[in-house]
Amino acid sequence: MDAQLKRGLLDVCVLAAIKNEDSYGYKIIKDMKPYLEMSESTLYTILKRLEAASMLTVRSAEHEGRLRKYYHITDAGLKRIEAFRAEWKEVISIYQFVTKGDGEHA
Amino acid sequence: MLKTAFLEALQSGLAGLPQQDIEERLAFYGEMIDDRMEEGLSEEEAVEAIGPVDRVINEIVAQTPLTKIVKERIKPKRSLRAWEILLLILGFPLWFPLMIVAFVLILVFYVVLWILVICLWAVELVLWAAALFGLVATVLYMLHGYVAFGVVLLGAALTLIGLSILLFFGCKAASVGTAKLARSIVRGIKRLFVGKEKAR
Repeated sequence: MDAQLKRGLLDVCVLAAIKNEDSYGYKIIKDMKPYLEMSESTLYTILKRLEAASMLTVRSAEHEGRLRKYYHITDAGLKRIEAFRAEWKEVISIYQFVTKGDGEHA
Repeated sequence: MLKTAFLEALQSGLAGLPQQDIEERLAFYGEMIDDRMEEGLSEEEAVEAIGPVDRVINEIVAQTPLTKIVKERIKPKRSLRAWEILLLILGFPLWFPLMIVAFVLILVFYVVLWILVICLWAVELVLWAAALFGLVATVLYMLHGYVAFGVVLLGAALTLIGLSILLFFGCKAASVGTAKLARSIVRGIKRLFVGKEKAR
């Protein structure tokens, strides 16, 4: 996928990965893997950016005798997902315009 | 490679970044390795899944702004003593101009880097302007009855248009190439600051 397009989608995907329940780094990567592959350092940067934008909060909790960081989505984060859904309708109509008449030449 | 070896290599590779950043990164990658081991991978496999430590370091350095790296570099490691502060104040007339010179040098270097691209675009612009002028002149000469001269001018104008279209691709390639070069220079400068010294 085009790098520019992928970058725009990653933030929303990470938010979506923690939308229903709090999640942790490795689980986010695992959940996203079928759709979008990203490296650990990319995830780290995105999490930092989303935290700075108050779209998620971080807490450390004990797990199996060690600390694990859990990420929790905020209202601002949920709003970002909503905004993405609205934007996506536009993208789909553009997609339909781009592929219009593709079948007719076959 | 085992987890501790990976984290040690990462730590020394990131030396030069703010201490808090390094600790957060180490905790983050440590957690990633632990979670993979919990899922049944062996320690080596879990570390391998993260990728080569050099690539990880490169990614982190690329994602860290140069200003942050430089700021950390020039920040004193301890509070300054009275005589050091005095020296700094007394030395101001000396180090301040030197600092300005350093900034200007960096600026000049950047301008020089881009000057070829700017020149190419300038030539491109002039070619277009000349072609446009030629076309206008062609029409004027033709209207006044100088048909032969008008045809010659038309030919020249069309040649210029052709040249400028060709040059446009050259300009574009030069811009992209220079942007790439500038990026890799910034990356090189960052690597100069980060990771050379072993962990303090």
